[in-house]
Amino acid sequence: MSAQPPPPDDAPADVGADVGAGEDHAAAVAALHAAFDRLRPQGSDAWNFLAAFTHLGDRYGPYQPGASDLSRQLQAADHGPSGGPGTWKQRLAQKAGLAGAGPGPAGSVGGAGGQTELEQAMAQVVEAFRFLSARVRTLEERLALEDRPIEGAAWLVPATELGRWVDPVAAHMVGASPGGDVLHADCGEGRLLDALENAGVVACGVEPRGAVALGPLERGRTVELTEVADALAGRPPASLGGLVLSGVVDRLPLHAVVSLLARARVVLVSGAPIVIVAGDPDMSATWAGTVAQDILHPRPLHAETWELLLQRAGFVSVASLDGGGGGEGDARFALSAATPT
Amino acid sequence: MSGIHQFVPVLHGGDAVGRHTLGLRDAIVARGFESRIYVDTVEAGTRALTSPVLAYPAEAHADDVVLYQFATASPMAAWLAARRETLVVNYHNITPPELLAPWDNHLALGQLRAQAELRLLVQRAALAVADSHYNEEHLVAAGFKETAVVPPSAALGPEILAAGRAAAPPASATGGAAAGGARWLSVGRIAPNKAIEDTVAALLVTRSRRDPSATLLVIGKPATTSYADALYRYVASLGLTDAVTFSGHASDATVAAAYARADVLVVTSAHEGYCVPVVEAMTVGLPVVAFRQGALPEVLGEAGVLVDSTDPYTLAATIADVVHDAPLRARLAELAAQRLAELDLATAADRFVSLLCGVRERRG
Repeated sequence: MSAQPPPPDDAPADVGADVGAGEDHAAAVAALHAAFDRLRPQGSDAWNFLAAFTHLGDRYGPYQPGASDLSRQLQAADHGPSGGPGTWKQRLAQKAGLAGAGPGPAGSVGGAGGQTELEQAMAQVVEAFRFLSARVRTLEERLALEDRPIEGAAWLVPATELGRWVDPVAAHMVGASPGGDVLHADCGEGRLLDALENAGVVACGVEPRGAVALGPLERGRTVELTEVADALAGRPPASLGGLVLSGVVDRLPLHAVVSLLARARVVLVSGAPIVIVAGDPDMSATWAGTVAQDILHPRPLHAETWELLLQRAGFVSVASLDGGGGGEGDARFALSAATPT
Repeated sequence: MSGIHQFVPVLHGGDAVGRHTLGLRDAIVARGFESRIYVDTVEAGTRALTSPVLAYPAEAHADDVVLYQFATASPMAAWLAARRETLVVNYHNITPPELLAPWDNHLALGQLRAQAELRLLVQRAALAVADSHYNEEHLVAAGFKETAVVPPSAALGPEILAAGRAAAPPASATGGAAAGGARWLSVGRIAPNKAIEDTVAALLVTRSRRDPSATLLVIGKPATTSYADALYRYVASLGLTDAVTFSGHASDATVAAAYARADVLVVTSAHEGYCVPVVEAMTVGLPVVAFRQGALPEVLGEAGVLVDSTDPYTLAATIADVVHDAPLRARLAELAAQRLAELDLATAADRFVSLLCGVRERRG
């Protein structure tokens, strides 16, 4: 039997429809795939240094992971069971039609393209170092972003939706942005994205919680399923027209906050606004659970500290942002700032 | 006395190639031949069933037929290619290296070696037997002149699966899928070619849209830690930690019980040379939803639902239909029984031995 994508009204009534009006599954599917692809360890390199060195070892001997008695015996013998010249691996490679199959005399011409064996070996060494370099770079980038002591940390201190802050923050960004994309992290259900888009501002979101991000994705919003540090690391300098940080700022340790603001300073264009909506540290017991406090050790920052950090990161015009009325039970404050013009 | 002996790099008692090898050994012996299993790496659990490969030359007979169980790279291939006994290759597929390379290039390089080793055996093999027509195409493409197809006798037997069914709690005890909480099952190594992330993404969509209590049980050991770690991180980042269980390698009884408890077997592999779990699911009447990839259309036939798109929304909708549509489930169970009859797995080992006997007589 074959299954095709169901029509919008084809789902059984008792289990609910899959496809609603205005939903954009393609964006959600792409975001889900991208979120997993980001976890690949090899980056964009098709091969890594281990494979390159394994290949070198195959040809020149010393690297033999998992060698068995049989392979050691065959390797040790100058003549294999067939009595032919060379090692069994050379014969295997030659019979199977692999290029550059044996070491041969140093400097002999034996490989593809008329290269000497020495030239081929050196080419492999160069490749090995290239792969090693790429791998180290990938690891360095990842280590710089790894402030999460436990997977799924975003679920331990789930970002509160902006709520009453949506309208004032949107109004501020619309008025202050010099143009370009405005990014919101953690965007949650995407209400700020909706407000910005409705005001004619191109908005994109970052939300590490996949299940939460499905909502705005299905409404056609642009959302990356990742942490904002990863998202900003992948952006070129001076490519954002504004940045709103909420939720994520309540679960990051201080050194990660400093790094995040430094990166934000780089990716924002001149004169672009940044808004921080953070939880009140004096009331953290009400918004951060005990498990989150124990495991993540987030250190909630006072408004004065945020002001200092923003200034140290090179932002100017740091000011408090008025959240309007109706704030009962919402122990948050907001600060706005901007990159210098 | 000459015999029909098998060579396998390592004999794992619990995996598909291992069970297949042991089943064949029994069938060969039942025909009155001597039959030993030679391994390059001796595993503690199967030590008593195997002999070290280096012991073979002293025990070899010129009229022996040697059967090489080919599923991975091994120095055995070159070694056997250089010997003079009649060689038969039993091909179980090579995972395309490009599927492994982004995750574990050492594994990928091993698959490249295996591809070269397969070509090496072309001129030496009197016969190459694939476990699916899909795999037979690989043999033909590699250059093997004489090929045949016999499915592996590797699936858990009906008696084991029936015991699992008896041990499982009745549907009424768990509420059943109709009350929500559909139980998805994935069986197989946690390897990049299995693309389990597609199953996870579909589970996310299902829980977000229609069945917040749906769960996924993944049975199988990691083939490479990089892929498994990424999968664990993906599950956590999607907020599915409580919904997805990774059980690791499990005993036959545990696997059988899992089949009995599940509502659907989900196979989102990007590449399958045969897929034994599909056969096991059909044996217990468990519906299968699978991507149309590799040998899955051939093995499953009409007895499951094949999905053409890797879109998790399409997969989630298809699985929901299969889980909740009782007449469809009943129809799939009927078709599964028919498909199993066509595969005739009970006689597979004997048919394989007949092929070996034919080779032996021709060479004799």
